[in-house]
Amino acid sequence: MIFKVAWRNIWRAKVRSFIVIGSIAVGIWAGLLIIGFSFGMNNERTASAIGTTTGHAQIHHEGFDAEPLSNAVVADSSAVVALRKTVEALSFVSGTAQRTVLGGMINSTKSARAVRIMGIWPEEERLQTTLADYMVEGDFFGATGRNRLVIGEKLARRLGLKLRSKVVLTFQDSEGNLNRASFRISGIYKTLNATWDEFHIYVHHEDLEKTLGAPLVHEVLVRFEETVDTDEKAGALAAVMPVGLAVKSWKQVRPELGFADDMMAIMLVLVLGIIMMALLFGIINNMLMAILERRRELGMLMAVGMNKRKLFLMILVETLMLGFVGGPIGILLGDLSTRAMMRIGIDLSSKQDGLAELGVQSIIYPEIVPSYYLIIAVMVITTALIASILPAIKALKLNPVEAIRGH
Amino acid sequence: MSKPVIEVKNLEKVYEGAVPVHAVNGISLTITQGEFTALKGPSGCGKTTLLNMLGGLDQPTAGSIAIGGADITTLSENALIDFRLRNIGFVFQAYNLIPVLSAQENVSFIMLLQDRPKEEREARAQQLLEAVGLKGKEDKRPGQLSGGQQQRVAVARALASKPQFVLADEPTANLDSQSTANLLDIMERLNKEEGMTFVFATHDDRVIKKARRIISIEDGKVLSDD
Repeated sequence: MIFKVAWRNIWRAKVRSFIVIGSIAVGIWAGLLIIGFSFGMNNERTASAIGTTTGHAQIHHEGFDAEPLSNAVVADSSAVVALRKTVEALSFVSGTAQRTVLGGMINSTKSARAVRIMGIWPEEERLQTTLADYMVEGDFFGATGRNRLVIGEKLARRLGLKLRSKVVLTFQDSEGNLNRASFRISGIYKTLNATWDEFHIYVHHEDLEKTLGAPLVHEVLVRFEETVDTDEKAGALAAVMPVGLAVKSWKQVRPELGFADDMMAIMLVLVLGIIMMALLFGIINNMLMAILERRRELGMLMAVGMNKRKLFLMILVETLMLGFVGGPIGILLGDLSTRAMMRIGIDLSSKQDGLAELGVQSIIYPEIVPSYYLIIAVMVITTALIASILPAIKALKLNPVEAIRGH
Repeated sequence: MSKPVIEVKNLEKVYEGAVPVHAVNGISLTITQGEFTALKGPSGCGKTTLLNMLGGLDQPTAGSIAIGGADITTLSENALIDFRLRNIGFVFQAYNLIPVLSAQENVSFIMLLQDRPKEEREARAQQLLEAVGLKGKEDKRPGQLSGGQQQRVAVARALASKPQFVLADEPTANLDSQSTANLLDIMERLNKEEGMTFVFATHDDRVIKKARRIISIEDGKVLSDD
């Protein structure tokens, strides 16, 4: 019957209860939207990084991770072919591509900068990454020709380079000798990640081989069928690797993406915490009002023998009920609106340039993250519990004789 | 002779202040089972203070109160709450029913606090409401009942816990004469038929006329007792 009393008490001051329940619902709704939006944005960034440049996992020589020297190759050419066959035989792998990766300098007539030179097999690269879709000028090793170079737009601008400009690349061969070779810009790309664009240039592996003497494979990029459980899959991949090779998942290759995930989780809990704080004060205020209005009744209950434990419980139940009504409404609203926006997408074209710096496209599709529903439910219950303490203490301090008289 | 239900010895209550007020000033009295007693006196004479102390709602400054032989002035706050729940029935001037509960639920609620089983609660509430003439009104909420009817629910509630006695503080103050007569008849009948002890604090002549023992109080002292 304590539940019945609590439930009916909520509806004694209908307007006031509606306001509190409404604020709980709106708070949760807003929280869920922020969560959906944040996850959508992060997934977008991750998916774009994996798709355009990184792949789900990468295989390197163990030494390459410590210091990317030209002699830290995965294996010789024939062994690489065998290795890729083994990897591609795994059920969750959709494809692989190999790359020569060299540290070096790019010199224009105007300036010079340190870059990472990616010697690629263009057909494979086109199959496994979407970089070719991000060309703003020229093409991605489309036409035939020699010593072609594809450069990021941002780097090109810094070096004062245009399509067909000539540059000189300096890099080490596997013996440690410095080599120079001249290249001509045949394409300019722009991905969603400006930092990547500023540091990576792409050349045809054959053009490097003329200087290096033989194909050097430093990196094997691996694409999975789906972007789920990537850490576990990278682990499974590592299990089939010969000694001396290391597998890194995209989170290890691009730690900034993983950090963004962690940061976001912390931010979301903070945002939810702030929402709950606001609700906390609203609920406390509501319950204090309710106690004030019902002093006589509470005094009577104490006089006739309702003990403190039961009185506390009654107020606790009443406060929790506000959360139990407002919570599901908020979760339902949040779920429905997130789902609606998952279909339509949130168009942020006006902020396109800023978003590109973050590695995000201009239309964001929010995502539903069920685990946050549980987190929110727990937070609402905790908030209601905390909110009930002060009003309950206030009620327990009532003097029954005075309260009955209405003093 | 009937056994004593309430035994009060040298009871004093002083409200401290710039000028200390002796609300109750050395009262000794015994109330035995089956009494229908009125404490009468003008406003501020100390009768409500005395009643509150008899009900364990207020602590005396000096003296002792024994209920059913047990001294309640030495009980802790929590023990006193439990003691009130099991031994004393209360009827208040302003009825003080729970507005969100029906008449039957108001009566049952006190038995719930005593952890009685649901069937017993329902049966007893029904029976008591019938005894106070509210059969058919079990599902009405206090707001749907007249003042007299609400006070009758309050009497049923006071009896629900099977107390040793019922304390009623100005129970008729808010009632018209017809309702007052009805209420007094019901309480008198419960007193005679079931032997329930009633103690009223009142200055209502209609109550005083019905009482079989009248204790007059003035300035915190017993003026007369007959």
